[in-house]
Amino acid sequence: MTIPFSLYAGRESGLHPVHPLTRLTIAGFVLIAALLIPWTLGTYALFAGLLLPLAAWRRVAGLLLRAVFRFVFPFALSLFLIQGLFWTGGTPVVSLGPLSLKAEGLAFAAAMSGRILLIVSSFLLLAMTTRPDALMLALVQKGLPDQIAYIVLTTMQIVPRFQAKANTILDAQRSRGLETEGSLLRRIRGLLPLAIPLVLGSIVDIEERAIALEARAFSRQGEKTSLVDLPDSTFQRAFRWMLLGLTVALTVARLVSVLR
Amino acid sequence: MIDGLSIAVEDIRFTYPGGVEAIQGVTLSVSPGEAVAIVGENGAGKTTLVRQFNGLLKPTSGRVLVGEWDTREHSVATLARRVGYAFQNPDEQLFERTVRAEVAFGPKNLGFSSEDILASVHEALERVGLADAADQHPYDLPLSQRRLLALAATLAMQTPIVILDEPTTGQDAPSVARIGGIVDSLRQEGRTVITITHDLDFCAEHFPRVMVMASGRVLVDGPAREVLAQSDTLAEAEVDPPQLVRLARSLKLTNMPLTPEEFVTAWQRSRGE
Amino acid sequence: MISVHNLSYKYPGYSRLVLNDISLEVQRGEFVGIVGPNGAGKSSLCYALAGFIPHFYCGSLKGTVEVAGKIIADTTLGELAGSVGMVVQNPFNQITGARFTVLEEVAFGLENLGIPRDQIVPRVEETLALVGLQGFEERSPFALSGGQQQRLAIASVIAMRPDVLILDEPTSQLDPVGTRDVFAALHSLTQTGMTTVVLVEHKLEWIASFATRVIAMVDAKILADGNPLEVLVDPHIQEVGVGATRYTQAARLAQRRGLIPQDRALPVTLKDTQRFFEEPSHD
Repeated sequence: MTIPFSLYAGRESGLHPVHPLTRLTIAGFVLIAALLIPWTLGTYALFAGLLLPLAAWRRVAGLLLRAVFRFVFPFALSLFLIQGLFWTGGTPVVSLGPLSLKAEGLAFAAAMSGRILLIVSSFLLLAMTTRPDALMLALVQKGLPDQIAYIVLTTMQIVPRFQAKANTILDAQRSRGLETEGSLLRRIRGLLPLAIPLVLGSIVDIEERAIALEARAFSRQGEKTSLVDLPDSTFQRAFRWMLLGLTVALTVARLVSVLR
Repeated sequence: MIDGLSIAVEDIRFTYPGGVEAIQGVTLSVSPGEAVAIVGENGAGKTTLVRQFNGLLKPTSGRVLVGEWDTREHSVATLARRVGYAFQNPDEQLFERTVRAEVAFGPKNLGFSSEDILASVHEALERVGLADAADQHPYDLPLSQRRLLALAATLAMQTPIVILDEPTTGQDAPSVARIGGIVDSLRQEGRTVITITHDLDFCAEHFPRVMVMASGRVLVDGPAREVLAQSDTLAEAEVDPPQLVRLARSLKLTNMPLTPEEFVTAWQRSRGE
Repeated sequence: MISVHNLSYKYPGYSRLVLNDISLEVQRGEFVGIVGPNGAGKSSLCYALAGFIPHFYCGSLKGTVEVAGKIIADTTLGELAGSVGMVVQNPFNQITGARFTVLEEVAFGLENLGIPRDQIVPRVEETLALVGLQGFEERSPFALSGGQQQRLAIASVIAMRPDVLILDEPTSQLDPVGTRDVFAALHSLTQTGMTTVVLVEHKLEWIASFATRVIAMVDAKILADGNPLEVLVDPHIQEVGVGATRYTQAARLAQRRGLIPQDRALPVTLKDTQRFFEEPSHD
C-alpha cells in the first residue's frame, strides 16, 4: 500500500505500539524546544539523543538521515556560507583574499541550522512512522470532528485522482483537435476546455461522494467503532503529560528570561 | 462523402510507465471502410490498443500507421484530422455553453470554414437526434444525452476513421438502436469504424469484423459470424456469445445468425430439412 | 418491506414531475428489477426509496414512502443507512476516500454503524469474496479499474447488511463476468429471505433470469408491474423504449411470419426461447 502525499514508511513492528498521540506529543515537544532552546549545542543534542534513537527504534534511521541530508543540508550549507561571509563586523576565522568567514556568522548559522534540523526531522519522523489515518483516528477519539479528519484524509487521495482526471480531459480535447503545444496563445486557448470540465466535474464528484458518505452511515449519531485498535497505556499517558509539562516549563522559563 | 482510411499495426508492444505491459505483440490491419468491434473482458488491453490509433499512446516498440502517417511522428491534434475518438465519459470533455458550440469545437480546431462548421454541426446533431437541443447548455441534458452529444462532437469532425469507446454503456434500447443506425450509416459512407464494446448483441448486428482480445493479445480476428461462433475462444476471453448465437447453438442450428431475421430464416430452414 | 403511496416529486427549480403518483408495495426477500427508457424516473425512485429524496435533494415531494419500517421523511439519512443500502450509478465517486485500502473502505460503513471490531474483518472478507474482490484487500481503492471500483462500491454497501438494497445500474462498467458475479451475489442475498433488492438495469436478459418481479417505468409513472416473463414481452412496454431481448425479438418475428402459433407466450430468456422454438406447432 502506498499513501499519496505521505512519507509513511510502513515499517511498524507492532512490538511496542506507540500511540499516535504520543508521537504527536514528541514531535510537538521537539518543535517547541527547537524554537526555544537558547543553546546551540542543545538542539543538536536533542537530535542525536532523542530523535535519532527513536528513528532507529522504529527502523527509519537511515531513511530519516537521508531525508535530512536532502532537505536540511543544502539549506545549512548556504546559511553557513552566507552568514559566515557577510556577517558585518565579526571576528574573521578563516580568510581567503577579500573574503573571510566570521565567527559570529558561523555561530548564528549553527544555531539556525540546529533549529531547522530539529523542526524538519521531528516532522519527518512523525510522518515516516505514523499512518495519517491512525493519527486522525487518535485525534477524533480526543474530540476532533469526524468531518475534519475526513477532509484531511480524502484530500490526500483525491489530489492524485484530480491529476488523472485532468489528464483524461486533456486526452479527450486533444482527440478533438486541440493543439496544446506551441505558442503561449495556443496554450492559453487550451486552458478553458481543460478547466471547465475539471471544475464542473469536481462539483458533481463532491455531490456524489457526499451521497456515498451518507450511504455508509457517516452522519449516523451514536457510538462508532474502529477497525484499527490504537493501544494506549498509563505509561504513555503519563509520558505525554510529562512532555506537555516540560514544554510548558520550557516556554515559561524562556518567557521569564526574555522579560528580564 | 468521406473515404475511409486504413490502419496498420505492426508488431506493437506497449508498457505503461508503471511497468504493466498492456499490449504484448499485436499486428493487424484495418482496411478503409471496415467496421471492426474489439471485445474482451475488462483489462484485456482493448482501450490501450485503440488509444494507439489516434496517438494518445505511442507504442513502446513496433509502429502504427494511420493511412501513411506513423503515429509517432504526428501530434494527437494532427491525427484528429484522420481519427475521431468518442470517449466513454462525456463529462470529461464537455465545456461549451451550448450544445451547438460544443459540437463545433472539433471542426473549428481542424480549421473548417464557417459554412463547413455549420453544415457538419447540423448534420452531426441530426444524426444523434439532438438537433432540437442545439441551444441548450450541455449540462442541462441527462447523462445518456450528454453521451450522444459527445458522439456528435466526434462525428462533426468528419474524420475518415471513427473510434467509439463503449458507445452503448448506460443507454436505453432506443438510443442503442440509434447508435447502431449511426454505425451503419458511417459504414455506408465508406468510413472506417472501430468500437470497443461489451455488448455482443450490438456487436453482432453492426460490425462485420470482430476481434477478441485477452491479456494484451489478439486471440482471434475475423468475420463476425466465424468469430462469434468460436465458443472456446470466447470463453477463454471471458466473453459471452451474442444471445442469438447461444440460441442457435442450443437448437443445434448449423448457421450462426447475427440478427433476429437471420435466426428465424436459419431456424425455418433447419425445420424444412 | 417497501411501501410507497401516491409519491410525486419535482427537483428544485424544475417544473416537470420526475415521479408522478407512484404507489408500490414490495415484500421482504423480493428481487425487483426496474426497467425503462432514460429519463423515466428510475434513478429518482431509487433516491426516494433510500431517502436521498427528500433529505439530500430538496424539491417538492408529495405522498409517503416507508422502507424497512421507517417513514423516510421522518428519518435521517444517518439512521436510514443501516436499513437501506444504496449504490448509485457512477462507481468512481462511490469510493469515499475516507480510508486507504479496499479492506478499510468496506470496513468504513461497518465502523460508522458501530459494529464491534472483531466482527468487522470477517464480514468484510466474506463480502469481498461475494463480489469477487478477494486478494485486493491491501490495494488502494483509487488504483482499481472502473469495474473493480463498481464491485467495491457494491461490497461496501452489502457489507452493512441492509434490509433493503437499492442499486442504480450497478453493472454499467462491468464485463459479462463481472455482471454475472454481481447478479449472483444479489441473488444469494435474496435467497436468504432477509434482503430485499431493488435494481435498475438495462440488461434485460439478466433481469429476466434473476428478478422475481419487474417494474417498467415510463414518463415518471409505473407502466407495468409483475412477473418478469410477462412484463418483458409486453409489446406495449417495448414500444415505449424498454426494448426486448434478442430472444423475444426472434420469437416475435417467427410468430409474425406465421411459423409459430400466436397464442404461444413469448419467451425472454434462453431457456424459454429454446422451448418456444422446440415445441411442435400444431398446424
